[in-house]
Amino acid sequence: MENKTSKPEEIIVLKNINKSFGSNVVLDDISLSFEKGKTTVIIGPSGCGKTVLIKHIIVLLRPDSGRVYFHNIRIDNMQEKQLDAIRTRMGFLFQGGALFDSMNVYENIVFPVRQHVKIKNREKLHDLARTKLAMVGMEGFADAFPAKLSGGQKKRVALARAIALSPEVILYDEPTTGLDPIRSDVINELILKLKRELGVTSIVVTHDMTSAYKIADRIIMLHDGKVAADGNADYIRNHSSPVVQQFINGQADEDDLRALRAPGSDIKISDIEQ
Amino acid sequence: MSNGNGNSSLLAKFGASVIETIYHSGRFARFQWAAITASCSVCLKPAMYPLILNQMLAIGVRSVPVVAITGAFVGMVLAIQAYDQLAGLGIEEHLGVLINLSVVKELGPVLAAVMLAGRVGGALTAELGTMNVTEQILAVQSMGTNPIRYLVAPRWIACLFLTPVLIIYGDFLGMLGGYLISVPYLGINNAAYWNFSASGVEFWDISIGIVKGFFFGVAIAGVSCYKGFHCKQGAQGVGEACTEAFVGSFIIILAIDFVLVVVSKAVYSSLWPLRMLL
Repeated sequence: MENKTSKPEEIIVLKNINKSFGSNVVLDDISLSFEKGKTTVIIGPSGCGKTVLIKHIIVLLRPDSGRVYFHNIRIDNMQEKQLDAIRTRMGFLFQGGALFDSMNVYENIVFPVRQHVKIKNREKLHDLARTKLAMVGMEGFADAFPAKLSGGQKKRVALARAIALSPEVILYDEPTTGLDPIRSDVINELILKLKRELGVTSIVVTHDMTSAYKIADRIIMLHDGKVAADGNADYIRNHSSPVVQQFINGQADEDDLRALRAPGSDIKISDIEQ
Repeated sequence: MSNGNGNSSLLAKFGASVIETIYHSGRFARFQWAAITASCSVCLKPAMYPLILNQMLAIGVRSVPVVAITGAFVGMVLAIQAYDQLAGLGIEEHLGVLINLSVVKELGPVLAAVMLAGRVGGALTAELGTMNVTEQILAVQSMGTNPIRYLVAPRWIACLFLTPVLIIYGDFLGMLGGYLISVPYLGINNAAYWNFSASGVEFWDISIGIVKGFFFGVAIAGVSCYKGFHCKQGAQGVGEACTEAFVGSFIIILAIDFVLVVVSKAVYSSLWPLRMLL
């Protein structure tokens, strides 16, 4: 009995998830569970199915076979209408931010609130938006339109929107991609802050190893649609698999190197002109 | 052997394209059904009315000039073209019937709808397509809001109700254009022009033109929103979707027009005489 209570609660469970697009198998019998209140980082080369995997968690994609559970309730086979209630308990930060460019920052942030809450007190709604903007360090930008913001600012506003409904789980799709190292670190600190202050469960997809080591309680590496490694930062750092070592150290493939060394890349423009 | 391979690959290609067509037709039908049910439920939600009004402004009010100009030119061209033929037969005073009947029954509604397919349909597909490729539609969904209900339904409702209104504008300007060329310019007797028009154009003719508008509006919104929601990635994907949306809605408008002409003729010939009994 005591053992049961001390066992951490698993908020999200994926069981035998398979997903293919045409003949391309993206997820191959993936089973994972995510603990409440922890930050899990999913790493892996581009196109290995990281984003596809977290889209399954919020059921923006449905598996070909397998099951997804949220708080022990199966959600992958739910009707869209039922899912909408589940989705309000999760926040999703899209890679490009996916801010609505027809709305300003304030309207973007209050969008999910307006959709799901009957607003009686407008003052409180303003306060909420102001608080969320302050949390991501974007006070004073409420009236700006997304087109005027830099990449990092867009991601921070998108994060403020993702946490507008105070979700239990936040899914981050490459939160630091395309940002300079300093801006990346701001995002990392934000992710840590949200975990600390709101106690949220975070699942972060990235291929930025600096970020992964900094924020992760647990790192999962995907390769060829399967889990190649799963453990804490030290475990991953010292993993014996060459695939994992190659990825975390950022080394080019032998085949790629051989192709680069091959002769024949010395065709001159003047040869084409003749 | 190679011949056999050639045949089987041809068969495989044919099979694949059949499966593809069935898949796309099913997806299109499901999308339209979702749009219809979402539009009905949105009509009952006053909180969504501001969104509908916004779309009505963009789709309806801002299309008035283009539809009015189209209508006016249609009337004017008809007058110039038909005058010589009728004058040759000595019945140029019947010009009013010809112009007004053509405008209210066929050319007004169809050309107004085609203009709207270009102006409104293109803009809808481009806007929704861009939202699609930048994941904004997924973002709506990820926040627990049905994107068809939030994005498609207001546009669908605006097109449904405002296309007929725009057709009325088009008809009106078409009549005015025809009149201005016929009476002041070609010198046809004013009273004769309108008397012949009144005797030739029935209430039925005007109403059938306006009824067409509801169908055309749904066709424009349905095709354009579908293409926007399902466009391929990148700028080229959005561009292709816009082209397909215009061509698709144009063809559907003409097809619907044909069907409605056949149906309305049948209804007219069987029911309209009954009004004499009333």
